[in-house]
Amino acid sequence: MTTKTLLIIPMLISLLALGACSQTQKDKGAIGSNTGNGTSKNIGKGKGGGSGTSSGTIGRGGAPGVSSRDGRGGSRGGSRGGSAGGGRNGGNGGNSASNTGDITLAGLNDPNNLLSQRIIYFDYDKASIRPEYMVLINTHAKLLAKYPNLKMRLEGHADERGSREYNVALSESRAQSVKSIMGIEGVSGQIKTIGYGEELPVVTGHDQKSWQKNRRVEIKYDGH
Amino acid sequence: MNKISYKEKIYKKGGGWVFNIYPYFFTLALSLLFMASNASAELELHISKTSSDEIPIYIANFAGGASGIIAADLKRSGRFKIVPHSQMKPRISPFGGSLNAGAYQKVTDYIVRGKQVGGGDLQIELVSTSDNAKTYFRITPNINRRRVAHKAADSIYEKVTRRKGAFDTRLAYVTVINKATKNPTFRLYIADSDGYNPQAILSSRKPIMSPAWSPDGSELAYVSFETNSSAVYVQNIFTGDKRKISAREGINGAPAWSPDGTQLALSLSVNGNPEIYTINVRTGHLQQITHSSAIDTEPVWQSRGAIIFTSNRGGSPQLYRISSRGGKAQRLTFNGKYNSAADIANNKMTFVTGRRGAFQIALKSIGSSGRDILSNGRQDESPSLSPNGAMVAYTTLRGGENTLAVISDNGKSRQFLKSPAGDVREPAWSPYLHQ
Repeated sequence: MTTKTLLIIPMLISLLALGACSQTQKDKGAIGSNTGNGTSKNIGKGKGGGSGTSSGTIGRGGAPGVSSRDGRGGSRGGSRGGSAGGGRNGGNGGNSASNTGDITLAGLNDPNNLLSQRIIYFDYDKASIRPEYMVLINTHAKLLAKYPNLKMRLEGHADERGSREYNVALSESRAQSVKSIMGIEGVSGQIKTIGYGEELPVVTGHDQKSWQKNRRVEIKYDGH
Repeated sequence: MNKISYKEKIYKKGGGWVFNIYPYFFTLALSLLFMASNASAELELHISKTSSDEIPIYIANFAGGASGIIAADLKRSGRFKIVPHSQMKPRISPFGGSLNAGAYQKVTDYIVRGKQVGGGDLQIELVSTSDNAKTYFRITPNINRRRVAHKAADSIYEKVTRRKGAFDTRLAYVTVINKATKNPTFRLYIADSDGYNPQAILSSRKPIMSPAWSPDGSELAYVSFETNSSAVYVQNIFTGDKRKISAREGINGAPAWSPDGTQLALSLSVNGNPEIYTINVRTGHLQQITHSSAIDTEPVWQSRGAIIFTSNRGGSPQLYRISSRGGKAQRLTFNGKYNSAADIANNKMTFVTGRRGAFQIALKSIGSSGRDILSNGRQDESPSLSPNGAMVAYTTLRGGENTLAVISDNGKSRQFLKSPAGDVREPAWSPYLHQ
């Protein structure tokens, strides 16, 4: 899975770079050299809408990207992503300043908190993480780090195309991709992955839009 | 046509017929649209009605509906054309009555008459119109009355084609109702090979996947997510007894029985990545067969010594072969970006192939380089060969749901099978039955 590793490495760098923008001075120092390369350019694009503060990128870095790439509207995650990326953009940016310091269990059920976003979408026949999800994944990882007794299930899914057991393996790989990024926070022991393949779709359609909604990893917390 | 050379003829034509049937696909699609409006009807479609490869056979009406079952079986094989009653003039006398078979030679190659005899046996008479040769079969009663007719169809098929019939067999498959809701129900079913007599042997709120028949036809291996993680079970279909074979960390999937029934090949990710393993079903002894950083899954045994599986080690899912003791894998498919989910019977291999954005059912002879595309749906999957290799069961989208279909290996007959309500998936064709 060398290709997968190659894909993940630049993402890890982006993740660290983003973390550096908003987090401790120590991080900033460590990342200084990385921000000079092409990766930081990508991050700049990801911000897109142009947030004023660096902390805003944590709240928004994920959401606008989600809605633009997926073009989805109706799913559970979709409505959240849509609202975050759409009209409430400004408000969200403002809120996110407090959200970043607000990585708490309560945040999981606060629709204005990034932690309420629990779905990560994937490209067809791919298990690599789209850059726009790095912040979301990192934020959940930080929550796990903060609550060492908290357990997470990463449930991978695939769309209906292709054979069923291959899709089980593909969806498990997707869950593993998310887990390996969260592992940076030292929280792997709190995470269980499972691949459901194409067996539990969220929508039944047989078109690109439906397939995109079904290619996902759902983040689930025990008891939350 | 010389009946004895029939088998030869089919194969001599090689891949040619695949192209021959394409002109009929449009008609087929129209028929599908038309027929979909009557969901309860049992649909039967012929890709080519004009083909000379189908042997004309007349089945006289006889007791208990057996004649209708026999006719449907023979037709589904793609090797027979059922001659309608209206063409049989003068009318055929019942079983035991005099028969001048030669008088019907222009209309049919064979005439079948039958009769329920003492003790409930079904007696069948098969008459060749070319030489008036008569063959008699006596089928003993069965608790499942339809099986008597399937056995009769097998006898006729075998006599005429000189290949073993596989109508008296079973299909296992999974259904789901309330798909894409919070409360789906998954059921594992067993039915006759024509879809009749479905019986649920397992029901679950969590996915059930990948049923696989033991070589003696008495057990099914399958995957269940009952415990919120995957596990492979083996269940006796007669007693219902089941035992857990593997519930390791990660994926426990894609069980496939070794030809001698002592081992299951499966896909496990216990070491972090999906690999093919074999496990002894009695001792639990586990052996890792593949070692790659890619996805390795969907094993099937070509023989006791060789396993074919799906891997994306080359960048896209393709079929590979490896010794059942491990070693170096050899890539088998190169045509297209998606070839997966192989099934093997009687020296033939069927698999899913991606073509122009669609997924269809392909068939090839083991060892040959060519392949034939049998189906023409958008999302056709889970092909399973009948034990004689003459028919393939698979699922295809119809009216937005996956439906069970059977297509003959020559592509001439395709039939949708009846199944209980819900989305149907993963048919697994049983071996020959011994009881």
